[in-house]
Amino acid sequence: MSDRKQLLMIDDDPDFVDGIKSILTAAQYDVDVAHNPKDGFAALQKKKYDLLLLDIMMGRGAEGVMIARKMSRDPKLREIPVLIMTGIREQIAFLFGSQALHPHFVEVDELMEKPVEPRLLLERIEALLKAAGEKASEKK
Amino acid sequence: MGKPRRILIIDDEEIVLDSCLAVLEGGGYEITMAPDGTEGLKVAQEFAPDLVLVDLMMPGISGFEVLEGLRGIDPTIVAIVITGYSTVESAVEAMKRGAFDFLPKPFTPDELRLIVERGLEKRRLVLEAIALRKERELLQQNFAAIISHELRAPLSAVQQNLFVLTAELESRLNEAQKGRFERLKTRIADLLKMIQSWLRAVSVPEGKIGDDFAPVSLQAAIAKAIESVQPHSTRKDIAVTDSTPESLPQVLGDETILTEALVNLIGNAVKYTHAGGKVAVSARVEADQVMVSVADTGVGLAADDVPFVFDAFYRGKIGPDAEAGCGLGLALTRRIIEAHHGTISVESEIGKGTTFTVRLPVHTAESISPPGEAPAAPSTRDPGDQR
Repeated sequence: MSDRKQLLMIDDDPDFVDGIKSILTAAQYDVDVAHNPKDGFAALQKKKYDLLLLDIMMGRGAEGVMIARKMSRDPKLREIPVLIMTGIREQIAFLFGSQALHPHFVEVDELMEKPVEPRLLLERIEALLKAAGEKASEKK
Repeated sequence: MGKPRRILIIDDEEIVLDSCLAVLEGGGYEITMAPDGTEGLKVAQEFAPDLVLVDLMMPGISGFEVLEGLRGIDPTIVAIVITGYSTVESAVEAMKRGAFDFLPKPFTPDELRLIVERGLEKRRLVLEAIALRKERELLQQNFAAIISHELRAPLSAVQQNLFVLTAELESRLNEAQKGRFERLKTRIADLLKMIQSWLRAVSVPEGKIGDDFAPVSLQAAIAKAIESVQPHSTRKDIAVTDSTPESLPQVLGDETILTEALVNLIGNAVKYTHAGGKVAVSARVEADQVMVSVADTGVGLAADDVPFVFDAFYRGKIGPDAEAGCGLGLALTRRIIEAHHGTISVESEIGKGTTFTVRLPVHTAESISPPGEAPAAPSTRDPGDQR
């Protein structure tokens, strides 16, 4: 196995996925894609990923949130850092009764609004991977 | 029907209580009794009855007062008055005070059963109507979010790919082509922003914000707002100056929403100012208010326009570089400021410039919630909340 980081992206918009994937691939990440929450969760269980890029508004509503919740209940998946991508920051506020704009679902997560500047995306991903790595070594 | 329907009987005569109980027992009801009005109201709080049978003439508080009390507890409770003196006047008076119907003593078991069933049916219909209305309101609220998402998603995908293309083609594009890409991105960014403003305008009803207010530093909010306008001001070569004193007291509010209001004001100033112009943001304390001014050297407003600038969908003259807006920015800004118990005013002279002034009450140390904790505090929410 190569030491390239394995990323999974769950997003139902193929055009958006295309754009993001191209940035990530150019930056030497391996990227798998799932276009719906069901396939996405199945992929998470089958392979060990270093980071998840998760769309919030999929399907009939905020199905991305369900994935994050399911992950937070799983001791293994809980450790994967998540970059939450959302079309509208406010939508998160709707879902959570206009409380904190960034609800933490798992140990290491971060919220980004679509669309995202390529450089910024790469910075965030790097930071998340680093934070997750530090968390993991703390526990050992 | 799932759970048994609840009936509360309030009467001082034991014989009436007993006979009511005998008639209604076995009808699938959960029945509680009280010997007087005060006790009855106390029980009603806990028991949450669907229907209340109440005697009009009792020692202690009267049946009329019980009716008022019940309405205060839950206006959807159906009340039926039992009256010994079956005068039309008292019955009419009771109905005026919200009773659903009245039952003159003595009554037959069938009369009681009938009136109770009718009362419960009424209660069911009322609850159903309320539930439907709630559902409709929820739909209306979410409608904005759904529409915005539908509009934004494809635009985001286009923008995302433009970002990638500009990065990937960086070395191969000439300056003119790069400029074209930049213009494409700007136009799409403006559209995205506009959709966001719409969403905010329809989804921030007055009275809704305010639940999670916390002390906010306006100085920080102003700095953030200026930063977010910077791409625009830099492009137009407009100097945005900030002379906010560090000692500015805090105000009580929602930082994100207040920043949004400031972005609207400063963004507007940049929009309606010629390239090379100036926008000055300043703040000071006056009496017990913080005063924030955004002054530009722009096109100014015609006197005729001034009274309408805060109206939704009102747009004055198109900006000097033909920048158009959606006409919601200032309307939204005013709503935000007013929700923070502040005021906003404007002074303008055509050809000279415009100054918007926001006044917000200074936050005093009393009545603070613990710092940092405020937004996380659980507010009372509907049991139907999807959390």
